[in-house]
Amino acid sequence: MPYEFEEILETIRMTEIEHFDIRTVTMGISLRDCHDRNIEVTKQKIYDKILRYGKQHVKLAKEVESQYGISIANKRVSVTPISIPFDACNAEEFIEIAKTLDKAAEEIGIDYIAGYTALVQKGMTNGERELIKSIPYALSQTKRVCSSVNIGSTKAGINMDAVLMMAEVIKQTAEKTKDNDSIGCAKLVVFANAVEDNPFVAGAFHGVSEPEIVLNVGISGPGVVLEAIREAGNVDLQQLSEVIKKTIFKITRAGELIGRKVAEKNGIPFGIVDISLAPTPAEGDSIADILKAMGVEDVGAPGTTAALAMLNDSVKKAGLMASSSVGGMSGAFIPVSEDMGMIRAVQAGNLSLEKLEAMTSVCSVGLDMVAIPGDTAVTTIAGIIADEAAIGIINDKTTAVRIIPAYGKKIGDFVDYGGLLGKAPIMEVRKLSSAGFVGRGGRIPAPMRSLTN
Amino acid sequence: MKLSEEEVRKITFEAISELGEKATPEAVKELVRKRVESMDSDYKYEKSDVSSGRVILTSFGLNHPGIVAGVTKAIGDANCDIQDLSQKILGDFFTMIMVIDISASQKDLKEIQEEMNKVAQLLKIKIYLQHEDVFRYMHRI
Repeated sequence: MPYEFEEILETIRMTEIEHFDIRTVTMGISLRDCHDRNIEVTKQKIYDKILRYGKQHVKLAKEVESQYGISIANKRVSVTPISIPFDACNAEEFIEIAKTLDKAAEEIGIDYIAGYTALVQKGMTNGERELIKSIPYALSQTKRVCSSVNIGSTKAGINMDAVLMMAEVIKQTAEKTKDNDSIGCAKLVVFANAVEDNPFVAGAFHGVSEPEIVLNVGISGPGVVLEAIREAGNVDLQQLSEVIKKTIFKITRAGELIGRKVAEKNGIPFGIVDISLAPTPAEGDSIADILKAMGVEDVGAPGTTAALAMLNDSVKKAGLMASSSVGGMSGAFIPVSEDMGMIRAVQAGNLSLEKLEAMTSVCSVGLDMVAIPGDTAVTTIAGIIADEAAIGIINDKTTAVRIIPAYGKKIGDFVDYGGLLGKAPIMEVRKLSSAGFVGRGGRIPAPMRSLTN
Repeated sequence: MKLSEEEVRKITFEAISELGEKATPEAVKELVRKRVESMDSDYKYEKSDVSSGRVILTSFGLNHPGIVAGVTKAIGDANCDIQDLSQKILGDFFTMIMVIDISASQKDLKEIQEEMNKVAQLLKIKIYLQHEDVFRYMHRI
């Protein structure tokens, strides 16, 4: 037999029992050639282009799923940051474009389309300012559109004017979608050092240096790693790192295979495999459970950050060995609402916002799907964003904030979206004011780290 | 390599008309054999080009008589070729893994999977069919 009995059973166990799946196959489509003076023509060009490339996306991905017996949780599309080709538009026109994206996404049968994006780490054009202004309206008037704004980078520093603007946008979005637990905020990411080939929605966009069309893939698989760690039993940390690496190696290889096959079927180039461990609300598919299996009593216990750092590093080492096309975020995600173990840790009072922030300094991607009281001040949200961005630019890594100031909710309440977005308990935010600092405006200069030439 | 009766008849008639006056039973037989052989080699070349005709079938469940018979019959009916087979009993549990070549089958992988699902329901076992590549990628560097 060309494969050992155990090898085959291992693969079956991963795919059938331990929730190993491909989290997303994301088609990146450039919209740079879609601008026209007439907004109606622009809309038609956008719609036609997404349909031209994306029409078969879901169907072909499903074919690959059944061929290899590995399920693909999400089929999605990312587009060029909308503010770039359509810089001449005003806020109303941007909202029209968002609706067009929504319609195109619905037509090709995908749940999310991402790239309603502006990159303003150093400054803003008029178009970018208009796009940011339009975000609360665009997200409340569409279902499938996801937005992101990059407000800092290691090379540029942190644009604090944009940080304050985004805090205001988040609050407005929460209010405009208050009937659905402020779901608009779950589709809005504020980045520092955003990456151009990230396949994970909501933060995905098709960067300006990307080709016309590309297919990126994001793997999942916390459940597989969890089982491997449990099986390893009481071994020392070096051995544990080996166990994690072996597991990640295998799932990265499978991920790349699936990505390449979907790309091949679509007749488009394959881009990258993002080796981020992405949890889902399913039982056992949790990063928090991995950390507990590594030995901390619960997420939030001293030692959590160290355990997460080791997990994340082992994931990267194995992924790099397994594929020459590793890209995107490629770290462990620690969203609260999408991870049962994290939800439990918050509810038990073991995990605070501050500890979560510390954890984001050693993994991707940041404060993700964190719900806070609806009456949190704009300047406080700006302070939270600035803190995360600082971790990002100083450590030359991607960080992000996807925070939900849930309208009308307070500590003890929940926001509940169901599905992959899950549910999040409202977390406590310190009452101390950040207004004086964030109100200064301007830009935090680029750090020492930026001067590498 | 399988030829339908009609194809064999067609090749034979072609051979007879080609040979004309010289058509003896032996000469016809020889010519037909050569013709079929050349077709066979073309076919083989194509097959080796598509490395991916093989799938791994994994079946398991509580052991009871008739599982192997049921599964192999379905594979045979679908015109798939069993290239390797390994089977173990662990306690009450039955596990069987097969490498099968589906390139000669008229059905595609999806249809074969559907057939196997029916068999699995009937035998109260689980059957998974996955393309060989996924195992090659995961377990071979």
